[in-house]
Amino acid sequence: MTVVLEVRDVVQEYPGVRALKGVSLSLSPGQVLGLVGENGAGKSTLIRILGGIEQPVSGTVLVHGEARQFKGSAESQAAGISVVSQEFRLVPQLSVADNIFLGHELTSGGVVARGKVRQRAAALLETLGMDLEPDRLISSLTVGDRQMVEIARALSREFDVLIMDEPTAALNGAEIRRLHAIVEKLATQGKAVVYVSHHLAEIFDICRDVAVLRDGELVLTAPTTSLDETQLVEHMLGRRPQTFERATDGTATDDRTATARLDVRELKLGGFDAPFSLRAGRGEILGLAGLVGSGRTELTRALFGDLAALSGTVTIDGTAVRLGTSRDAIRAGLFMLSEDRKGEGILPHLDVTENAMVSRERSSLRGRARWAPARRGEESVFEKLRQDMRIRVPHGRQLIGNLSGGNQQKVLFGRALLSGCKVLLLNEPTRGVDVGAKVDIYQLIRTLADDGVSVVVSSSDAPELAAIADRCLVYFAGRQVAELRGRDVTEENIVAASVGQVAGGDVHV
Amino acid sequence: MSDHTPTSTLVADDLHAQERARSAARARRAAERERLLQSVGIVVPFVLVLVAGLLFVPNFTSGSSITNILVNAAVLAITGYGMTLVIALRGIDLSVGSTQALSACVAAASVNEWGGLAGAVIGIAVACVLGAVNGVLVTSLRVPAFIATLSTMSVFRGLALLFTGGAPILIASSGYKSFATGSVLGVPVPFLCAVVLGAGMWFLLERMRFGKHVVAVGGSPEAAVDSGIAVHRVLLGAYVLAAATAGVAGILLASQLGVVNGSLSAGLELQAIAIVVLGGTSMAGGRANIPGTFIAALLLAMINSGLNLLNVPSFYQYVALGGLLVFALSLDGVQRRTVRRALEGRTS
Repeated sequence: MTVVLEVRDVVQEYPGVRALKGVSLSLSPGQVLGLVGENGAGKSTLIRILGGIEQPVSGTVLVHGEARQFKGSAESQAAGISVVSQEFRLVPQLSVADNIFLGHELTSGGVVARGKVRQRAAALLETLGMDLEPDRLISSLTVGDRQMVEIARALSREFDVLIMDEPTAALNGAEIRRLHAIVEKLATQGKAVVYVSHHLAEIFDICRDVAVLRDGELVLTAPTTSLDETQLVEHMLGRRPQTFERATDGTATDDRTATARLDVRELKLGGFDAPFSLRAGRGEILGLAGLVGSGRTELTRALFGDLAALSGTVTIDGTAVRLGTSRDAIRAGLFMLSEDRKGEGILPHLDVTENAMVSRERSSLRGRARWAPARRGEESVFEKLRQDMRIRVPHGRQLIGNLSGGNQQKVLFGRALLSGCKVLLLNEPTRGVDVGAKVDIYQLIRTLADDGVSVVVSSSDAPELAAIADRCLVYFAGRQVAELRGRDVTEENIVAASVGQVAGGDVHV
Repeated sequence: MSDHTPTSTLVADDLHAQERARSAARARRAAERERLLQSVGIVVPFVLVLVAGLLFVPNFTSGSSITNILVNAAVLAITGYGMTLVIALRGIDLSVGSTQALSACVAAASVNEWGGLAGAVIGIAVACVLGAVNGVLVTSLRVPAFIATLSTMSVFRGLALLFTGGAPILIASSGYKSFATGSVLGVPVPFLCAVVLGAGMWFLLERMRFGKHVVAVGGSPEAAVDSGIAVHRVLLGAYVLAAATAGVAGILLASQLGVVNGSLSAGLELQAIAIVVLGGTSMAGGRANIPGTFIAALLLAMINSGLNLLNVPSFYQYVALGGLLVFALSLDGVQRRTVRRALEGRTS
């Protein structure tokens, strides 16, 4: 069988991290290869090397049997490799059509052929089943639409190999189905596709073969038919997956609600008609569910002073909190971890210790340490965190940017813990976090709650809420449509309520 | 619950469609607000200053006053075009005044030596070389644009003063001098040049590959790199163009004045930055507005001319310029915030 793309013994190193330890892989035309692995296993690194964005320390990439050294993404594209990257690489100020053809514009003499560009863009979007105007600016699109534009852009190039890094993370059901159909069509046309996804069901749906990366090594390449989901997870983790047993204890929840730590009354936010009200008890894990636009993200951001509330009161342990800035919120005992960990969470140029310490409650420190933090003291505090939370870092001076998503999130949990917060707001706490670390994080949330912290978890992952929440509020278009308690907090109930169907036919929308 | 799943997905898809429609509406609203703010930012001050000038400034509409405004605006606008590119790329060029001085002085000396056309070509060529120096500093040597061009501002100024030996250079060629002082159908030639160059620059930015790359690099450098755009080449091109436009404005200025010296166009960089930002080009990169730069140049020229006619001491003109720059920058910030809010649907 001919081989269109081959990777031989590729090694990549970052400061302090060996991201790829000699990976070899080959792809033939018409093959759809699923690439899976935990976060930090090296998938993104491999993709960046194939895309020409990074150069490997050693090893070769062969295209059509010919060894190639990509010095930039342009060379990789010229060699016939097209990448749909996980992070959006779109220019917000340019139109949809201009973005699709960015870098390979259809021009005559340097002048962009606008009619042709618009026409081709519209045709591409059509095949993806999108009715977007090609002239709309990217800055005005939803995340899902941007993802589709990103895909359209990869398809607009001439390619033999298409690499898709988590293409469905922001797509809805119909869009995912359409994308799968397109992948299958490409395969029948003889294109090779590398498909990266955290949703293993997808891998089984559309991939002929699956390759598993673990800690920078390729541990398995096999036809998907020879495996089932559990086995695949075992290969990814290198062990049996742990499951998180929740305490479904409805009565305890009621006791907890009785002593409300966080009390939000009639909080009015711009863009939503109905005000928000909620209470969270001492030691309670309160889930907030709802689709995009349901208002739950805005609610948590408003509570943290990130977004101005129009009216309403918030009290913590009976004390009214002024909702001006995040600084006020932290002083009042409220802490939030943002869903955008990279943009609003980590301080990438500081090491893990400093990252964990930035919001540390000052009153816990004495004398000089308040103004000039003692490194040694911080190190011992971090060492304790590292053991308690099972943060996988070689030492406390490791830069946080080089860690996997799960480990970064753990460090941020450490930050929240040290801020001495009474109420912790979590937005998508396990987004981009691998299976193993997920369980650790659920455990951490439970430990925090047992220490008396009210934890409010806003998540789009219904199974996650079903696993950890004592009580779950479901929002739809800015209104609370359901309150699920104890045993009623199930994936089915959450999903049904999120889309406007409430058990008992009682729909408030 | 399993029999509910298909309906739930259908409902979910439906909701997504609604969300999409809402986002389209928000996008339109954001675009409207952006346009509105841009006009508030430039057209409103323009009209106010124009009306104030007509009402309160004696001789504001006299022939010589109008010519004066148009010529000054032309020199500013042409310099501003290049600056627009650089600022849209998240850069800045503080050396435009010095570049203009050096290229005008070299051009003047060359005119006296080899004639008008050769002088102009040599002047622009010198400017391009100076721009390439800036570009290399910023791209290959990775010096931050602010520092790099602050340094070259000093270097180029020094070179201009060394070249002239501190003495003014008188241009002997009356043919060369008549170029910028001439007019076509009553419109001064430099102003026509500004209009033509502005149209060309607009075309370059809006219709050509290079322009798309400028917006891409300025709007999202990571996306530009991943799209295979030669980012360094785009930056280098922009700095060369910025210097070239400063040089073109310089030779027009030399032609108009008939005499140049090493301290020509001192402080021009501040005026150029002010008109670019006032014209709606964002310091945050990615949004370039050539017509805005043009109108803002007219506005600033009117203010300067009006203050002169009112016999206001020139010291106040510095205050006015600084105030205008602060106004423009704060407006830029407000504009970005408003657009973001409109997109997030918070101000509805």
